[in-house]
Parts: sequence; structure tokens; C-alpha cells
Amino acid sequence: MKVTLNWLRQYVDFNWTPEELTERLTMLGLEVEGVQKLGGEFEGVVVAQVITRDKHPNADKLSVCRVNDGQGERQIVCGAQNFQAGDKVPLILPGATLPPKPGDKEPFVIKVGKIRGVESHGMMCSGEELGIDPESIGLKKEDGLLILGPDAVVGRPLAAHLGRGGSDVVYDLEVTPNRPDLNSLLGIAREIAAITGNAVRVPSDTLPAGDTDASSLVGVELEAADLCPRYVARVLRGVRVGPSPDWLRSALEKVGMRSINNVVDVTNYVMLETGQPLHAFDFRLIARGDRAVPTLRVRRALEGEKFVTLDGREHTLSAEALLIADPEKAIALGGVMGGQNTEVSAQTQDILLEAAYFTPTGIRRTSKKLGLRTDASYRFERGADPLGAEAASRRAAHLILELAGGTLASGSVEVHPTPPVPRQITLRHQKVNDLLGLRLAPAEVELFLGQLGLRPASRSAGGSSEPASFTIPSYRVDLKREADLIEEVARLYGVDKIPSTAPRQGRGTHPFDERYDQIMAARRLLAGLGLNETQGQTLIAHASAGGLPAATTLSLSNPLSSDMDVLRPSLLPGLLDVLRHNLRRQNTDCALFEIGRVFRSEQGVVREGWRVAIALTGARAPGFWAGSERDARFDIQDLKGLVEEFLEHFGLRGYGMRARAESESGALYIESGTVTLGGGKLLLGELGQVHPRLARDYDLRDPVFVAELDLDQLLARRNTARSFKALAAYPAIRRDIAMIVPESVTHEAVLQAVRQSKAAHLESVELFDVFRGGHVPAGQKSLAYALTYRAAERTLTDADVAGAHEKVVAQFRQSLGATLRE
Amino acid sequence: MATLIDELDPLKRAALDAFQAADALPALDQAKGQFLGPEGRFTGLMKRLGSLPKEERPAAGKAINAAKVEIETALTARREALELLAARPAHATDFTAPGRHRRLGRLHPLTQVTDDIVRAFRALGFAVADGPEIEDEHHCFDALNTPQDHPARDAQDTFYLGTPQRPLLRTHTSSVQIRVMSQQPPPVRIIVPGRVYRRDNADATHNPTFHQVEGLYVDRGVTVGDLKGTVEFVFRELMGTDTKIRFRPHYFSYTEPSFEIDFSNALVRKLGKDWLEIAGCGMVHPQVFENVGYDPEVWTGWAFGFGIERIAMIRYGISDIRLFYENDVRFLNQF
Repeated sequence: MKVTLNWLRQYVDFNWTPEELTERLTMLGLEVEGVQKLGGEFEGVVVAQVITRDKHPNADKLSVCRVNDGQGERQIVCGAQNFQAGDKVPLILPGATLPPKPGDKEPFVIKVGKIRGVESHGMMCSGEELGIDPESIGLKKEDGLLILGPDAVVGRPLAAHLGRGGSDVVYDLEVTPNRPDLNSLLGIAREIAAITGNAVRVPSDTLPAGDTDASSLVGVELEAADLCPRYVARVLRGVRVGPSPDWLRSALEKVGMRSINNVVDVTNYVMLETGQPLHAFDFRLIARGDRAVPTLRVRRALEGEKFVTLDGREHTLSAEALLIADPEKAIALGGVMGGQNTEVSAQTQDILLEAAYFTPTGIRRTSKKLGLRTDASYRFERGADPLGAEAASRRAAHLILELAGGTLASGSVEVHPTPPVPRQITLRHQKVNDLLGLRLAPAEVELFLGQLGLRPASRSAGGSSEPASFTIPSYRVDLKREADLIEEVARLYGVDKIPSTAPRQGRGTHPFDERYDQIMAARRLLAGLGLNETQGQTLIAHASAGGLPAATTLSLSNPLSSDMDVLRPSLLPGLLDVLRHNLRRQNTDCALFEIGRVFRSEQGVVREGWRVAIALTGARAPGFWAGSERDARFDIQDLKGLVEEFLEHFGLRGYGMRARAESESGALYIESGTVTLGGGKLLLGELGQVHPRLARDYDLRDPVFVAELDLDQLLARRNTARSFKALAAYPAIRRDIAMIVPESVTHEAVLQAVRQSKAAHLESVELFDVFRGGHVPAGQKSLAYALTYRAAERTLTDADVAGAHEKVVAQFRQSLGATLRE
Repeated sequence: MATLIDELDPLKRAALDAFQAADALPALDQAKGQFLGPEGRFTGLMKRLGSLPKEERPAAGKAINAAKVEIETALTARREALELLAARPAHATDFTAPGRHRRLGRLHPLTQVTDDIVRAFRALGFAVADGPEIEDEHHCFDALNTPQDHPARDAQDTFYLGTPQRPLLRTHTSSVQIRVMSQQPPPVRIIVPGRVYRRDNADATHNPTFHQVEGLYVDRGVTVGDLKGTVEFVFRELMGTDTKIRFRPHYFSYTEPSFEIDFSNALVRKLGKDWLEIAGCGMVHPQVFENVGYDPEVWTGWAFGFGIERIAMIRYGISDIRLFYENDVRFLNQF
């Protein structure tokens, strides 16, 4: 909603600067989104009269004049020749600026100065200097000063003399959806009146007695009172449709509305003034049919009925839409836009002026369905004043008569079957103070509400702190219950004046609280392991990396684009997108993780789960200038080690990792493994190397390694309990075993063999070398293990260890087919 | 037996020369063996002491011992010198050159800001709560008093899923208010950070996914003053002690009275503004209490919410919200 400072002042007095008005409105809840100062044309230029004109003592072509500027006399030195004493001319005063002429860099500022030794206090102006074409204002074109007509009033600002706008300030206000009454100048004026205590000046709506009764000229039949509870029609005959006067045109243009003609402009002006949308029909274009007088039917549209609105668009309507119709045709889309067939034009002589109340829901549906939003529909769908139609109709008729002449049929034709009963709301004073944390006296509360036009309807006899009931003005459609009145008190008291109280102590609980810490712990661990945290898009492309499982992936019914049409079922496609983004920007080394939610559908049930995902590509370590490792790239063991380190520190025990058959790996991986618990029964996650074909699609050059774990499972299985184990007091003995085994023998199989050997005092088994090639036959590999033996209560002897170690060696030979390398 | 004593001095001199000549520890060990080892020349000399006449032995023994001490002292000194030499780096270190780094990752700026917010609220006894991102109309709109035909419910503004019950992606974390109040009795003191979704095309200030934080406090006798006090505390914690807070009346369907919160500090003034809008809040609407089965005559409360990206953008001077979701490592490494 746009309003201007000058326009507002017509309805209420306030002595604030434009900046103070911004502040006041903002603190009332009318956020000022924009302020535009209109400089006003011809600032500092007044109508002046030349009293005397004498020759300049030092210059032939100059004259020295005494000039009356309305306040007093000034001495002006002038170079023009076309004037004489008595002429009225524009005078620009010192301090004001002339508009820059083409080619000028800066506007020309008028100063008091000496011209050839004689002081000049201003400058008399030519049309050219002011940027005025004399003929456009009905004056003769001539060299020299702009000579104004003899009727010009000395001292008047030139802008006012020419009927042009003075300076003004346009405010762009954000009206919250609960306050449709503020979509009007009067509504805003009421707010200002409430805090200043000044009265609102209701604009004149006096109407002359008419020659004919309106009801003898037109009839109204209300067939859809649910959509249009009230309809008021007035008839004006013999109007002269023409351009609007400057004040009207300028008022509309300042707030961004186009001037059309005097009649239409009045309907718009009164809408802005009162918040009540109005419509003017060309009365002669309304068909009479077989009735005695033209009769408007307010009816629902027929299913599929076509209608052409003022803007020339044809709409196909449904029965939800409301039409104003004559016996032959629809003439307006009620509350939204009038019809082309009855538009007011230059030829229009008689007018039917409509003022009605349309219910919000109906207008909203129609407007949305047709994609047609107008200033009228906007106001009706938010809620117009159910009782505002008559006053606005009178005001508009008053202005049309004033601006377009004509005669008004007396009275109006009004259909208003069930006028609303004024709403009353009970307010307990105690509740006001309890909620706001204030100690207002009941009288203060009543004062605030009274300033907003809420009158006490009942008051308990003695009673200060007893509940009081207030009658709500019809335009305050937002006030429905006690809390709403308390808000009004807070606004008028001043929200900024409500004292803050120190936060109270207490302890909230929620099951997620602990989980939040656990998730943060996971994040910190992963960051500590050298990974940067990412936050990916929840919405990803259905055609994402490796293909998403169609049956369980959740799609949007109204996606913005095919890039974001499903909810991520995994964090990995998003991480690959992030890698691509980085590689395209030459960030070739990435070690990333994300913790976030994924979504899937299980037999039609929507499931959300937390996951953690890791992606590695590029250089293993930050750049360094020496050493054989400096060019090392990430490999699968980096990923595996990261996952292991993370799981161990996060408190997950007893998990296993296994290779996954290529057939189960899916399109994402060239090689992958699983992380499981319970001997493979519970899947915790997966990890592997991204398939080069996919990596190429994503412009990823170095091998890419990714892992994804089910964070919900990790949180459920996590065990962070720790208990101290006494430090070993006796020395350990280490024995190494190097053996050649078939390629298929896994580390897990070796550990299994160690367990089977039941070797005594064996403390740990550590793989320290894997070797292929050389003397190792093809299809085999050499494994080297360090076995550490230790007893808790004594120092082991070589003999103790020899026996145990022999068992291990024997078991390796037996179950692994190992050849021991001595 | 003048010969033994006569030999002593040249032998000692030879030993001292040999130690001095050793240029590394192995050479020194070799030299030590030559003189002091079991077959060493000095050891040999000592062995011959027994063959001396009895009366000459004390003097000879004394002389030999003195020589031995001298040799061993020289040996120790030479060893220390050579050890030091061996330990000294081959080249002097250029302390201006970068050392060998390990990679240390960083938390995403949104995570850091969220955690700061959580920390501030937890200092006041708030618990972190959470709820589903895929919501239903009841929790996201109806129970929050959103009018039936409010535009927020439009498919134009809100993402809906294609499944039959037409679930939606929550448009605000306020849906969690309803879930929590429906599940636990008052008093309630929660903070809800989380992702929310609006159907806006991505640009410098919009991303279809973004983060909000919601605070909810319900108790007996909660006032607007409490709301103001808490908001002021939290924003000073977050944005610095010079932060000023302003409340303006506003409208939200689930609070009454409702306010918008502006803040001002040096950062805001640097942007050439007096105030920057930062959050919305209000006293929980009695209708909302009724919707979750709380008695509004007994319980009052406040709720407030704000965008985490907005806080992060102001705090770090980030002008494009998309940077948070692109995850460029040059961006991530700055926080």
C-alpha cells in the first residue's frame, strides 16, 4: 500500500517530519518498506512582481529591478529585455537550484552575489531556464522572462500557480494480512489519530437531493448472498467523462496508479481513501431485457461461462465465480474486475456506481483460479469493511458530481438481507497485564482501545478490574478475541516501552536434546579427521548419480525443476555434486563429509533417517615440498581407515567390513564393501570407489572414494561407556610370522585361524606387511604378522611363547594352506 | 723396568690422537677397541703390570691409571662431540618455509551458527527438539491457526509430495511446536533448529532449502517482558554485546500479539542501515494452545523464530545464500 504524506494530512493532523512518520508507522506495525521523496517541481520558485526596472550603472544590457516576492522586496539584477514594471514573473530565490540543462554536470545553485558591482538576491527566470514550454501553459513564446498572467498571485509557489504538485513523500507500506482496513488512507489516518489523539477528518460526502428516485431507474437482485452479502447501486446521469483535474491525477500517479478518466479515477481514489473498491458501469450499456428498468442480477457464473474483463482477457468461469449480470449478459466479475461491455468511456453519459461487499473466500478462489489479481480483489480477499459500501458510494458520487457534473438520482438501490450484528469482545484487565507484563490501570486500557474506536459496550457497575466488553468497529475484521485486544493495547502503549525481564531459569526436556549432542560429536570427530563439513541440497534430481531406487524414492508433485524433483534418498548424489562443483573450480583436493537427513518411502510410509557420508578425492595430504608421500592420492585404504577411526572413536564396537560382490555393488561403485554388525546381519553402511564411468560424468579426474553410514543405527548401537584396564606390568614377547597364502585368504580368515589355535597368552595380532610379486608365486601373496604374547602375572619365557606360537603356525598351515617363510 | 713407563706416554699420545682423528662414532668405537678393548694396546700394557718387580708396581700402576683416566676422559669428550655432530641436522632448517601439515576439517558455517544459537538457549535451560521435515497440513498449518485458504498452503509456495496423503515439506520449524506440545505436558522450553522448505527459485537471497531456529517457552505467567528479555539475551550472545533489539508489532497466525524483531549493531551500521529485520515472534495464540490441548487460561508462552542463513550472512558478510549449499572448499575453509 502506497500513501503520501500530503494525502494523509488531509485526514488527520500530525506534526511529524517525514522520518518521524516512518518511525511511528513502523512502531505501530505498519512496516515502511520504501520512502520516496518527491522533490516537487520548481522548489524555491515563486510568483513575483516587478516593481521598478532601472538601468544597471555598469552594464548596458543589464537592469536592476525591485521585485515583490510576496514577503517583501528584493533587488534583482536581470539581463532580459522583455519585461516591464508590473509584470509578474517566476523568481527563484537564493539557495534554490535550477534543473540542470543538457550538458550541465550539476544543477545551478542560486546564490546572493554581485553582478557588475550590484547585488542580486535571486534570479527572474525564463521558461527555458525552468524547463517550461510557455505554450504548454497557455502563454506566448518569447525571448526573455516567462511573463505570467495578471491573475498570478504574488508570493505563491510557481508549482501551485501552475497546478503542479509540490514536494511530497511517498511511503510504501507493508500491510500485514490481518489488517485489511489499513489498505486505505483513512485506515492509516485512524492509526495516526489513535496515537496523536487528533480526530480523523472524514471527507465530505454530501449529496444534493436528486430529481428521480434511484429505484425507479435500476433494480438489483441478489441471488448469491453468501458471496455478496451487500450491494449498493447509485445512478448519475448526464456526466461529462473527461480528464481528471491535476490534483486527482497527481494523487493517483504518486501512488503508482494510472489516471484513466475523471469517473474511473474517482472510483480508484475513493477505494484508496476508504478501502472500499467501487465500480462504475456505463449505465446505458446495461440491458433492460423485458424488465421495466435495467435490473442487475448478482449471481454465480454458469459452469464454463465465458466473460471478457476490462483488460480484454476472456475468462472461462466455474460456478464458484460471481457475476454481476443484466438480463442479457454478465457485466462484471464481482469484486474482481468489470466487463469490457459496460466500460465507462468518453461517450458515457450515465453511470451506475457499484459499491458492494464481497466475501473474502469467494474472491480469493476466483482471483486465484483466473490468475487475475486487482486492487479490488486484493482488498476483498483480505476482508473489506462489511459496512463500508454506503459511505464510499456517497463519497464517490459526491466527487463525480464535483468533477464530472451530471445529476444524481436520489437515494440508492441497496440489497443487504442480513446486516451483521456488531461484534463484542470481552476483555479482562488482569489478562492484559498478565500477558504484557505491565501494570496498566483499566482506564488506560479503555483509553487506548477507545482511541482505536472500540467503545465499551458494558462495564460492571463498580468496576475497575472487572471484565469490560467492547464493541468492535466493522472495519476491524481482525479483532476476534481477547488476545487481539491485548495486542491493540500493546501497540498503543508502545511495544518498545514494555520492560524486558531477565530470562527465567528452568530446565526443558526433549528426547532429541541428547541426540543433538551426539550428532555434533560425530561432526566434530569427522572434522578432526580432516574432513570439511558440507550441507547439501535436500532436493536433488531424479536422474542423479548411479540412479536412485525408483520404488522408494519420494518425488515432489510440484517441483521447481527437474534438477530438484525428488527428496534425497542418500547423501551421496549431493556429495558428488559438490565434488563436481569443486573440481570445475580447480579445487582438485576434497575431503568432505555431510551429516543430514535422507528420505524414502517404505510400502507407502514416509521414512526420514539421518546419515553420514564421506567423499575423498585428490591429494591425500596438504601440499609439502619434500618426501616420497607428497604426491600421494587418496585411495580406498584412506577411506577405510577414516571410517574405522570414526567408528572406533564414536563408540561403535564389533562391526565388520566385507567386500561386496560386484553384482551387489550397484552402478555407483567399481568396487565396494559393507559395514555390518552382528556378523553381517545388520547393515550399517557401505564404502567403495566410485565407478570411473560415473566419475567421468561428474568431471572427476582422480579416483573418488565415498562411504555412507546409517547414523540412526550408529546412534542406537553406540557405546561410549569406558572402563579402565590395568596397564600391563610384565614385558611382552613379539614373534613375527611371514607366510605365503592363496590370494583368497583374507585378514579376517587369518584372525579366525588365530582364534582357532587357542594360543595361550596371545595379546594381539597385527598385520604389518602384504607383498605380491618377486619370489611370491602368482595368485598368492605374502602376509607378515606380528604376534604379541604377554602374561598378566609374570614374565613369559621363550619356552612359554614357543609352545603357543607353534600352535598358531600349525593352524595357519592347516586352515589357510600357508607356506611359512622362515 | 723403565721400558713400560717409557712406553706409556707415547701410547697415551697415540690414543689421544686416534680419538681426535675419529670423525664419526664408528671410527671412535674402532679406535677405542684398538686401545681399550680386550686386545687393545693399553689393555696389553696393563696386563704387563703384573710382570714388574713388586717394588716398581705401585708407581707404575699409578702412572698407568692416571693415563687411563686421561684417555677415557678424552674418549668421553670426543664421543659427546661426535654424537652432537651426528645429531645435528644435515642442513640448517629454514624456519620460514611451511612445515608438513595434517589436514584438519571445518564445520560448515551453518552448523557453527546453529551451535552458537543452541548454546545461547541452553544457557537458559532450553532443550533441543526436533521433528519431521515431511509434515502434514495439520502440524504445519491447521494447528498453527493458518487460515484454510492462506496462500502459504498453495502449491505455488509449498512443496507437496506425490504420495496419496499429500504430505508436504515443512515451511517452518513451527510445526515442531505443535508436535512437542501435543506430546508433552507444559511447561515447555525447547529450541528447534532445522531445515525448512519454500518453493522459491534459488537466487542470492533464496534457496528452496534453508534453516530456521524456533524457540518455544510455555509456562505459567509468561509475559511479553519475558519474551523480550530472552530475545535480547540470545541476540547479544550471538551478535555481540553492542547489539540493540527493537520489537515492532506484526502479524503471525500462531501468535497474538505478534512482533517482528529488528537488531542493530556495528555490522548493521556498516551496511548503512539503522535496523535489520532478523526474526519474528509473539505470544502463543490461545487458539494454538486449544489446538494442542493446553488450557490458555492457565498457560501462556512465547515463540520466536529466525533464519539461520540470515544470521550467518550478517555475521560473516556473505551476500549470496547459494554459497552455503555449493560447498566450495574455498568457502568452507574460511570458517
